[in-house]
Amino acid sequence: MAPEIRITAEPIDNQRCKFVVSVPVLAGGVRRFASADDAAGSPLAEAIFAIPGLAVREVIISGNIVTVSKESPAPWQAVGKSVGMAIRGALASAVPPVAAAPRPPGAVTDDALYEQVARVFDEQVNPMVARHGGHVELIDVQDAVVMLRMGGGCQGCGMADVTLRQGIEGMLAQLVPAVRGIVDITDHTSGSNPYFQASKK
Amino acid sequence: MPRLLLLLPTSTYRATAFVEAARQLGVELTVASEQPSTLEAANPAGLLTIDFEQPERAAEAVRIFARQYPIDGVAGVDDKTALIAAAIATKLGLKGNPVHAAMAASDKYLQREQLALARVPIPRFLLRSLEDDPAEIAKSIVYPCVVKPVRLSASRGVIRADNPTGFVAAHARLRAILQDPETAAACGDRARHYLIEEFISGYEVALEGLVINRRLHVLTLFDKPDPLDGPFFEETIYVTPSSVPTALQKAITDCAERAVRAIGIVEGPIHAELRYNERGPWLIELAARPIGGRCSAVLRFGDHGVSLEELILRHAIGMPIPSLQRERLAAGVMMIPIPGAGTLKEVRGVAEARRVPLVEDVQITAHPGERLVPFPEGSRYPGFIFARGETPAVVETALRDAHRRLTFVVE
Repeated sequence: MAPEIRITAEPIDNQRCKFVVSVPVLAGGVRRFASADDAAGSPLAEAIFAIPGLAVREVIISGNIVTVSKESPAPWQAVGKSVGMAIRGALASAVPPVAAAPRPPGAVTDDALYEQVARVFDEQVNPMVARHGGHVELIDVQDAVVMLRMGGGCQGCGMADVTLRQGIEGMLAQLVPAVRGIVDITDHTSGSNPYFQASKK
Repeated sequence: MPRLLLLLPTSTYRATAFVEAARQLGVELTVASEQPSTLEAANPAGLLTIDFEQPERAAEAVRIFARQYPIDGVAGVDDKTALIAAAIATKLGLKGNPVHAAMAASDKYLQREQLALARVPIPRFLLRSLEDDPAEIAKSIVYPCVVKPVRLSASRGVIRADNPTGFVAAHARLRAILQDPETAAACGDRARHYLIEEFISGYEVALEGLVINRRLHVLTLFDKPDPLDGPFFEETIYVTPSSVPTALQKAITDCAERAVRAIGIVEGPIHAELRYNERGPWLIELAARPIGGRCSAVLRFGDHGVSLEELILRHAIGMPIPSLQRERLAAGVMMIPIPGAGTLKEVRGVAEARRVPLVEDVQITAHPGERLVPFPEGSRYPGFIFARGETPAVVETALRDAHRRLTFVVE
């Protein structure tokens, strides 16, 4: 008998929600789907993009976490179950829920981008954020989108988004222009030693 | 592409909300804070450090910065940065409030003087020095009263006293709070003074508004269903739309409008707290900033669910505002009460709380190992619960139900 699949929804905001699945969804690496066309061949992502009225903008799958971004103003409380059903349905199928990432011919490969981004992180970003006891870990590059995780003083820091959007994003735009976007997969609520801590009402 | 200067204190809860709103608008963004970002050298156009303690000096630094990176709009997010934004707007000729208005909005004594002159209904008040003998003062004041720091926010240091003994105790407690160097610095030249104010009984509401070219547009009126009778004034639930009768809502709005005019606020967000009783509405506080904490996450406007932060930034930079109409559904937020003094070990029941029908999210903002300090010494809520539903009553029930499922382990 297949193990029971438990799925917990953890909204990030009204547009984004993490679905934590009790079984692995994608072992190793990260896949990002920015449209229904991208999702073709990956039944789990196809099913989420096909949810009526949700207007899905992006699906990111990593390990046992599925992060969904939507356009619809409907609250996650109302639509989360549909996403859960889509995930369960795909995992119950005999077909792998997520296909391997395609490599477009002639494009800068994600592997090459990974090397370049890793060098920027090692040589520039991390020595700078280390001054606040922080570090930034490159998790993967998928379809030219960088997945990163913040740690130390950056994890849970009130200014983490400023560091990400005004600092790291700008540096990558300049130094690795083929990067199309950055996704922060940090669990900021678990940060135990944030450098800047929110304290005002 | 227009450039927006966003003034973000490093202690704000709201960096993500404002930065993401700016990204939605596609503007060039410069974030200015009072402490340097480690990446400032890597993005000199996007990151700036200015002195939030000295508005004029900050404005001059921005004037020099703007020679290289011209700025089209400026926005602050709290009392202090609202004052800096006013100084910058004045210096650069941008849309914003005059400095005297932002100053009055952030200084409870100046504010009360101006409101009293304009005959806006406010509690009777006195300014006293912490050095004055509290036992002597206690003999001459009317009870119940409330002691308040002049420049702290979030009800920090606000204490009710019902008799002379209570007043002397409240004075001692406030004096200790204001002796903390960081707190004293936040109060500036008002750190050695405090207000004694008549306690106004009644039901409290919060009005969220946007002033556009001197006209107050009411964005929403929140009910605060939990009584705020002291001795401390920790907030809990805000729920909207208000169940206050329409005629009374009109009187509350009129009171807030008169206060906005009296203070001289001409542009930007306001957050007002008012009470009403058998004698009508009373203006308790007016700030030239939006609602604090993460509470704004519960507000959505227009057909596309635009955030409050996006409205504020659109206004600051002169972009069209699609709608100032809040959505049809009722919505509410609970500032999770501080569960006690001590070190937070863990929070249990978050997943269960999130599963309560109508609850959209539970955000725990305190981190493991953080020291929790109850009111009136503290003011940092350990988290927020958000809910949305058909009526304010069901939203309020959902918030309380979710809160009951949380257990804070504090040692």
